[in-house]
Amino acid sequence: MKVIRGTLSLVIVAALAACGSQAPAAPAGATSLTWAVETEPITFNPHQWAQNKARLLVFNQFDALVARGEDGSFVPWLAKSWQVSDDGRTYTFKLRDDVVFQDGTKFDAAAVKANLDKLREPGYNPAVASIQLHAFDKAEVLSPTTLKVTLKEPDGLFLDFLSSPLAAQVSPKSLKEAKDLKAGGPDVVGTGPFILDRYVKGQEVHYTRNPKYNWAPQGSAHQGPAYLSEITYRFLPQAAVRVGALTSGQVQVIEGVAATDIQSIKSDPSLSFQSALNSGTAFSYYFNTSHPPFDDKRVRQAFREAVDLDAVLASVYQGTAKRAWSIVAETSPFYDRSLEKTYGGDVAKANALLDAAGWTERDAEGYRVKDGKRLTVRSVASAPYVRDRRDILAQAIQAQVKQTAGIDFQVKIVDQGTAQKAIEDDAYEIFENSRGDSDAGAALNLILPEKAAINRTRYADAELDGWLAKASASSDTEERKALYAKVQRKVVTDEAIVFPIYVPSDQIAASKNVQGLGFDPVSGTPRGAYDVRIAA
Amino acid sequence: MTAAPPRARRVPGWLAVAVRRVVSAVAVLWAAATTAYVALLLAPGDTVDILVGDGADTPEIRARIVAEWGLDRPEVVRYLSYLGRLLQGDLGRSYQLQRDVGEILAGQVGPTVRLTLAAAAVGVVLALVLAVATAGRSVWPRRVVSAAELVAVSVPQFVIGIVLLFVFSFSLGWFPVSGAADPQALVLPALALGLPVAGVLGQVLREGLERALEQPFAVTARSRGLGERAVVARHALRHALLPAVTLAGWFTGVLLGGAVITETLFGRPGLGRVTMQAVTGKDMPVVMAVVILSAAVYVTISALLDLAYRLIDPRLRSA
Repeated sequence: MKVIRGTLSLVIVAALAACGSQAPAAPAGATSLTWAVETEPITFNPHQWAQNKARLLVFNQFDALVARGEDGSFVPWLAKSWQVSDDGRTYTFKLRDDVVFQDGTKFDAAAVKANLDKLREPGYNPAVASIQLHAFDKAEVLSPTTLKVTLKEPDGLFLDFLSSPLAAQVSPKSLKEAKDLKAGGPDVVGTGPFILDRYVKGQEVHYTRNPKYNWAPQGSAHQGPAYLSEITYRFLPQAAVRVGALTSGQVQVIEGVAATDIQSIKSDPSLSFQSALNSGTAFSYYFNTSHPPFDDKRVRQAFREAVDLDAVLASVYQGTAKRAWSIVAETSPFYDRSLEKTYGGDVAKANALLDAAGWTERDAEGYRVKDGKRLTVRSVASAPYVRDRRDILAQAIQAQVKQTAGIDFQVKIVDQGTAQKAIEDDAYEIFENSRGDSDAGAALNLILPEKAAINRTRYADAELDGWLAKASASSDTEERKALYAKVQRKVVTDEAIVFPIYVPSDQIAASKNVQGLGFDPVSGTPRGAYDVRIAA
Repeated sequence: MTAAPPRARRVPGWLAVAVRRVVSAVAVLWAAATTAYVALLLAPGDTVDILVGDGADTPEIRARIVAEWGLDRPEVVRYLSYLGRLLQGDLGRSYQLQRDVGEILAGQVGPTVRLTLAAAAVGVVLALVLAVATAGRSVWPRRVVSAAELVAVSVPQFVIGIVLLFVFSFSLGWFPVSGAADPQALVLPALALGLPVAGVLGQVLREGLERALEQPFAVTARSRGLGERAVVARHALRHALLPAVTLAGWFTGVLLGGAVITETLFGRPGLGRVTMQAVTGKDMPVVMAVVILSAAVYVTISALLDLAYRLIDPRLRSA
């Protein structure tokens, strides 16, 4: 079966090469592969990008002004170099002059300005306009290769934004003429190494190599066009089906491997397996501090002490999940390692804390009671966001806190509307969430400040807000590190408003002969297909 | 009725029936559209919340979204403008996918039609063959088939699909797991979707056949020297078909509902998958379009069923 399929694709590729007279000199022979992915993107327009799981597709089709190296530093991409003024408010970019969009439009300073202006257009992407570009004032074209961006105030996250999918460069022609600009697709083009030429909704998206591509970011494994002449991403939402498709040779690469399948893939000599921890925030339970019982710090601490998290993670994820100790994922440079092993898993302490907090009585079912009210905490999760068996994880925690401390933890998985309603009505005690932002600071800004968009702890602390604001404005990594360390100690240790659980990870499994697969160093999600090749 | 002007009597019967059918079809469609609209209105969660999504939520963003989607107009106005646009064939724009709903669905109807027709064929053919082969026969084959039917009916579609995939795709490699263009890729999903239908239909048909075979007309037919096979094919089957045809409306529901699971499992494009995505994301325009489309399918099928009754049962022709 494998042999036949391989020959068939060779024939197709040969036929394609014969048709196109301008067929490029392929760097490593003409090759194609099929990659099964879990998530079908809601949109192919990078400016509308919101799914970390779709990140691997964005940089196939698009490039950004700056990239990030393995160590997280910013490196030149479509921008050859840049200068930041001393007050941190003016960025002057020198752009490459040899870049063309896939529709033939030349890439220049005017194109970058068109992208930035488009992002600020009302209704185009209101979230980006008001968050990532909150400090943006104006962009000026000084010459075709020079662009000056002025900010209203210093913004330490501006380059991070420019390196993100949201700031990937779309052809100005597409911005003007595309029929469904927000949905993206074949008529919304970029400068990337692959051209999206076919999208079958619900089934697959197909790319062919951009033969002119010669502007990979500095530090890439190779330069020039991509190795693969074609790549198909097939949307297979079921983990078991993806694994079956891989082991039976129907696809060559899969992402998103269930914990239960990892061992069998690792032991298969014809397959390779790799995984990486995601960036951003750890998957955590956030305690709602606005009303009982979690308005009492002792109850928050008791909940964390009541769970033997190592045992829970081992049983739910068979040893494949990495325990989190801080709200910040450990891949981030801001991660505070000193928090490790400072709390959790002390049942005696949990019960002492609850006794001290007045939850001394027990009802017939063994739950703690205070003033006739049971110690009940509710978690409301929106089904579309439940992944990684987080429902099973919640059930395991539920069983533990009941058994060890008499806490009634109720877990509900509901539709998005119901979840939002519970949040509006303040009818929850635990909110579960992880974020994949490439800069953990950006995630903290959304979660911790009093007025933050997803502040579900309802915790307000002026000092904390001050540290976060200061850290966001700064571009000095050491200064930010010190500030975020203070933030983490406050929310994890001093106030215990968060219960970090595990660091989400991504997995790739592939046939052994597929090489060059890897993870985006910044997000920890699978990289695009630019460096991927098939060994002879 | 007596007060009706004499001219009305000149309207031919078939035309009156047709008119009545069209009117009731329109009423059903209107009711479906309205029910869907009201249900989604009453469902928890504010549309603006859905459109804002997981990210930034500021009054400024909310105001922009409200203006962009016209959510500031009174409910009645929005309902009427929705009906108005519907009449013009405009199904609206998806909140989530940012494309015209009509366009999204148009691309998905084909794969789902192919899948459900194939599954229906699997269901009907299997049921017919098994029922005819085992009705009134010796106990053992009948028991085995009947047990198999029970399994097909009771096991969740998802499990049937997974088992089929593991055996025929992952282990034997006979069929690919996904793809809509390739006819080979249709086999497993059609089986997964069609087997439960075959299970129910087979049981109903066999029971009908056995009852018919005991009727005096079957005895008469046999006494005329007809072979058992001919008795079944020419006489008993027609009687057994009536209850089975009644079930066809129910199958439409099973097939459309099952398409959601089957399409997701097999990575096939189609209405089921789009619906799933739309419901979890509270993408109202898409959900409503799917509801209306399903209602239209039901109406069409029940009209066809009426016709089928008349063909199968001569007594109904004069009614």
